[in-house]
Amino acid sequence: MFARLFHSAEARRILYAYIAALALFIIGQIVRPGFLSPASVESVLLIASFVGLVAAGQTFVILIGGIDLSVPWVLNAAAILLATSSLGENARTAQALLITLGMGALVGLANGVGIAFLGVPAVVMTLAANGIMEGLTLGLSGGMTCESCASYAPPLVQALTHSKFLGIPSALWLWFAITLLVSIALSATRFGRHTYAIGTNARASFLAGVNVTATTVILYMLSGIFSALAGIMLVSFGGQAALGMGDPYLFQSIAAVVIGGVYILGGRGHYIGSVAGAICLVTLISVLLALNMPEYGRNIIYGVIILLLLLFYGREEEES
Amino acid sequence: MTAKTAIGDMPTPAVEASNVRKAFGGVVALDGANFSAASGEVHALVGENGAGKSTLIKIIGGRLHADAGEVRIAGRKVVLSGPDAAHRLGAWTVFQELTLLTWMTVAENLFLGHEIRNSLGLIARGKLFSKAEQVLADVGIFHIDPRALVEDISLAERQLIEIVRAITQNPQILLLDEPTSSLVERETVWLFEQIRRLCKNGTSVVFTSHRWNEIRTIADRITVFRNGKDVGTFTELGEEEAVTLMTGTRVDVFFPPLPQAPQSQPALSVRELSGPRIKSVSFDLYKGEVLGMGGLAGHGHREVFFSLFGAEPHSAERIEMSGKPVRIRNPRGAVRQRIALVPEDRKTEGLLLPLSVRNNLTLTILRQLSRFGLVRVGEERRLAQTLVERLKIRARDLFVAVGALSGGNQQKVLLGRWLLAASDVLLLYDVTRGVDVATKHEIYELVLGLAREGHGILFYSSDAEELAHLCHRVLVMREGRIAAVLSQPGITAEQIVAAAMREHATV
Repeated sequence: MFARLFHSAEARRILYAYIAALALFIIGQIVRPGFLSPASVESVLLIASFVGLVAAGQTFVILIGGIDLSVPWVLNAAAILLATSSLGENARTAQALLITLGMGALVGLANGVGIAFLGVPAVVMTLAANGIMEGLTLGLSGGMTCESCASYAPPLVQALTHSKFLGIPSALWLWFAITLLVSIALSATRFGRHTYAIGTNARASFLAGVNVTATTVILYMLSGIFSALAGIMLVSFGGQAALGMGDPYLFQSIAAVVIGGVYILGGRGHYIGSVAGAICLVTLISVLLALNMPEYGRNIIYGVIILLLLLFYGREEEES
Repeated sequence: MTAKTAIGDMPTPAVEASNVRKAFGGVVALDGANFSAASGEVHALVGENGAGKSTLIKIIGGRLHADAGEVRIAGRKVVLSGPDAAHRLGAWTVFQELTLLTWMTVAENLFLGHEIRNSLGLIARGKLFSKAEQVLADVGIFHIDPRALVEDISLAERQLIEIVRAITQNPQILLLDEPTSSLVERETVWLFEQIRRLCKNGTSVVFTSHRWNEIRTIADRITVFRNGKDVGTFTELGEEEAVTLMTGTRVDVFFPPLPQAPQSQPALSVRELSGPRIKSVSFDLYKGEVLGMGGLAGHGHREVFFSLFGAEPHSAERIEMSGKPVRIRNPRGAVRQRIALVPEDRKTEGLLLPLSVRNNLTLTILRQLSRFGLVRVGEERRLAQTLVERLKIRARDLFVAVGALSGGNQQKVLLGRWLLAASDVLLLYDVTRGVDVATKHEIYELVLGLAREGHGILFYSSDAEELAHLCHRVLVMREGRIAAVLSQPGITAEQIVAAAMREHATV
């Protein structure tokens, strides 16, 4: 099984991504001794898990040749919704989580319906959804961030990122479990087979009796749910929500998926690759921060890396 | 019939192609084709679908590159880098598929690529419409408004504009690929007047048509194509002789014997099926029958197949599967009714090329194969393996990408998918196209084997010979209707081609 896996170009890409992550950790250690200490590695992975969660949704939709640009404000809305609907009380945690994830699912549903049934291009549909969510969030919060509205995440939610189980933060266990579930969903279920089929050729899949529209809608719903989940984890981590906190996650989630070797036009790739991509990206950010690289410099570097990867992977595609 | 293959004392031909070869992947479209047309001559190219006429026209028009051989225009060997290069040498093409920009006006389309500009180099919009009106009037067209958007005018009018665009360039060589297929008789008469006028000025006109009386009316010479080769050039040729030449007798394909006459119970009954390009199609397909569907491309076969599979809008008075009325709204519904479709283009509409043989085989039966959404991989592998063995699919293993297999084996995978789905009715659309002879034979055996098992098979083929040998009955379609129903024994390819070309079939 694994021998076969590592013969293909996509498997090699995943391997490259893990090697790159490892190399970056070592470079970090050289640049700033202590980078490889358990505490430091732990915090890098914790931050990577936020990117990784968003990237899970992004992987799903990119696998069918789509994209989800509504990530930033779904994530942000989720963070604010969780803080405000729970009022920081443990007793309201369950309903707050449900409302928040439900909101993510609902935006995803709208995206999916627009794309699959109304034929709106994914870029346009999800960009519009992002705009609408931004407007709704700003309007309903009255432009107030929760830093000023004094709503905190309930201690139970905060515990997600601040408690440990067997010496590893709970959030990492959660990410691990999700990685397992997403990988199984993609590789061992009918739903996963249909996803790859649609991403390879939607017309041929339709003519083979695959329910292309339903599958597409579910994939976008999953993406919305994962964005919302990432929002919850971020509030858990920081305790409070802030306006604009979702902004970096659009670029980073797409970058993680690309670095992880998922074919940007769909049909090929694995979430396990996106996980490596997320770790790679966050490690790189940490190394650049350790080098005191200003933000503009970091942004240029991300852009160049994505371009180079796409160029390189594009070349490889033509050869095979 | 006077055959004149030798062109002895003729002057330098306006256009000449010698030994032209062109292959698309493994499919050879032109295999050493020769052809030449003189100035002032109307030269018709005839042949079955896929004989290579359109490919040759595209090569002379600069749209395609020949793999081998040469093209000479006015005696000079040319290598055309694109349509532009052909235009510079005076060769203009009117294509079968329309190339107008639908959201622009008629006038803008007429001058596309050579726009009228003012002194600033900008497009002179004011002059555009008056100039267009004048151009249209010059060729005797008064009923098309140059201000109209192309999307608002009829198909025939679009074709006329397409033709006007080419003939106003004073072409030395005018290439017309089935220009009359969407025209009514009056417009065809107009076209022939234009052609005669151009010829008088020395233009060489090359054209293809499937309508024999048009060829008889306008052509000075006729070159017959078969299987990518020219099989003769004639100044006079009877229809029957032409059909014989076009179909030929293929010694290289051996057809297996047809199984017993089918059972008396219909697997599929269709009544009054209509759609955008089909009109009142009714037929019964019996269990164990191979029902052929023949005729020229673009006459509604594809639409019949896709409608029955729920992939094209349609209406029908009644569709029954084994006597039970059904409604088929989408391919999923068709699969549930155990109808299968193997589409024409297996690479874009059938298979998922980068995915494995196994994934392609089991795609439609994943529901039966799953428990709680999880695919039962062991069972899946077993089923896929049995099928690979049964159909003799030559693949290294079940996990090799389908795209890496040969055309014939790809086709078998696609057929295999529908066998796994236990389909009662198989709609097979040109399944042997682009498949080598040996695999063709295997597919024939397979199709007849399926019929013997009681499957009902609707079989379209662009190869009339195949239909004549492989089908119990053949429906010949023309302009969206069933124009003729031929029954065994004694169906011949000639009969099918003749029925398809006749204006009003009486077979």
